Amino acid sequence: MIEAVELTKIYNQGKKNQVEAVTNVSVTAEDGEITAFVGPSGCGKTTLMSMIGQLLTPTKGKVLVDKEDITAYSDGWKAIFRRKNVGFVFQHINLLPNLNALENVMTPLTCHDVDLADYKEPALSLLGQLGLSERAYFAVEQLSGGQQQRVAVARALITEPAIIVADEPLTFVDEASAKTITDFFSKLRDEGKTIVISTHVSNLAKLADRTYEMKDGRIVKSFEKTA
Amino acid sequence: MSRFKNLFNYALNCIQRYRIRTAVVLICLVVSSAVFSSVAFIEDGLTNEGELSLKYSPDLTVQGVESGRLTPVELRYLGYIQEAPSVTAVVPRIWGYANIGNTLLVVVGIDLSNPTINFAADYPLESGTFLNPESNNSVVIGRGVASLLGVGVGDVLTILTESNQPRTYIVSGIFNSESSIYSGDMILMNLKEARTFFNLPEDKVTDIMVYVSNIDAAQKGALVNLVAREISDLPNCRVVTKNLLLQAQEAAYGDRSGFFSVVWYVILIAVAIIAFNQTVVVGHESKFEIGLLKAVGFSTTDIIQVRLVESLLLGTIAGAVGLAVGIFYDSVLGAPMVADFMMGWATLYPNFTIPVAISLQTVLFTFTITIVPLLFATVIPSWLNATVDPDIAMRGARA
Repeated sequence: MIEAVELTKIYNQGKKNQVEAVTNVSVTAEDGEITAFVGPSGCGKTTLMSMIGQLLTPTKGKVLVDKEDITAYSDGWKAIFRRKNVGFVFQHINLLPNLNALENVMTPLTCHDVDLADYKEPALSLLGQLGLSERAYFAVEQLSGGQQQRVAVARALITEPAIIVADEPLTFVDEASAKTITDFFSKLRDEGKTIVISTHVSNLAKLADRTYEMKDGRIVKSFEKTA
Repeated sequence: MSRFKNLFNYALNCIQRYRIRTAVVLICLVVSSAVFSSVAFIEDGLTNEGELSLKYSPDLTVQGVESGRLTPVELRYLGYIQEAPSVTAVVPRIWGYANIGNTLLVVVGIDLSNPTINFAADYPLESGTFLNPESNNSVVIGRGVASLLGVGVGDVLTILTESNQPRTYIVSGIFNSESSIYSGDMILMNLKEARTFFNLPEDKVTDIMVYVSNIDAAQKGALVNLVAREISDLPNCRVVTKNLLLQAQEAAYGDRSGFFSVVWYVILIAVAIIAFNQTVVVGHESKFEIGLLKAVGFSTTDIIQVRLVESLLLGTIAGAVGLAVGIFYDSVLGAPMVADFMMGWATLYPNFTIPVAISLQTVLFTFTITIVPLLFATVIPSWLNATVDPDIAMRGARA
């Protein structure tokens, strides 16, 4: 279980351009569930997702994973935590240019003590499940936005993390890719993954077991899916 | 172990992916290391040559001076010098330049009557026989001279005197000294022959060679200086020690290579700026990549390792290629421009090949100067980027 306790993030603190992006947010993401954050653009969803995934240090507050305060970890331990436990899907896709789809999927394995050759088949299988079997050896620049985001989803899963953090994964994605990704998240939830997602796409939000609505960096409403 | 292999392969992959940065850095480092190594190899070679040429030199040389200019020295000083304490031998010498065709060579007349000095050992023969006190009209020539003139033992050599009178000699032997300065342009003859050749009065010689007791090296320097002081009060004379000659040579070549060092430093600074600039130019790309790698689990140490491997590989390749280019430029092409500048008056010698010495010190230093600036220019910015939150790094790169 992931618990965010009174998370606050202030950018450029003490400067003229100080911005309080997230204010005193406390949320919970249960294991094996999809937890969604919805809200208008600029309401602090990405900042909150980054803090939950330990990509961003909170100005105040903490993140507990299975009751352990991971915000107190050193930079090195945070890297190890991300390596072992978290897969990220970013709004801006963030694939490495000049690499093909397969190489991008396998990039997170580089810092693991594994033989990369052993993971080629699993990587190809993931790409196949996301409908990219034919595009595995294409340079990412040759892929459409939707295809690129599907590569990013495969990359997030190659290390078999328990937690998936997906920030607006459908923003730059065509309808067909959006459906593939949405279905894939549903399947991952069924496999017991904990998925934390921010979105403004209703189909994806509908999939969530627990939804938090954000506005101006605060949680303004939360509700759980009724059976 | 697999992890290190993965990171190493990733670093190789980065070198391929950032092709423009790799090419720019490689070209700049190769140019700078080639310039440096070329000059350093010649400087080392010239220093070696200088040391070799002085190996058989006398401990002291007494030269005549008038109005600050070198002149022949009075032969009557021989006795006075011989009486100085610790002096074991005093040998007069006559030498100067002479033309054979368009070729300028050095003619040296040595006094073979002094049994304490074994000139035959200083100029080891590869063929023929050495001179003796009675040998008239005979010369012993260096290997380089023989090759240049196409003559061998028993051949006749005609040399023009300063008054353009031809004098004929028979080549009795060919020597091959360790120093190419000697064997490249030297013709040895009897002192008496040289006096006639240079038309020097009976009471004068070009200089006087003084040998001091052969004691251990530590004490010899002090003893030589003592003797030098003892005989320095001779009128119209100056006393030059072997050490002084060596220092003069080192200073001459050192100053010339110093000029190139300045040029090289300028190039190196330019390389560092270019490398740093490239890091900044591809900085957005690199910053984004570092942020992303950290997001997927790379630690700061992993990222520094990747950049270290990149820099070490690039620096090593550049250093190796630069050294190869330097050696090729010096040894095969004859170091055009650099050699002329470095050798100065030595270019007068016709058959003098550029001495190139490849010392371990120069090789190691070349690698050091190609690797260290690159490490600073790439690892430090990467480390700075890797120490910020991955989200900040990626957002900064997108900004």
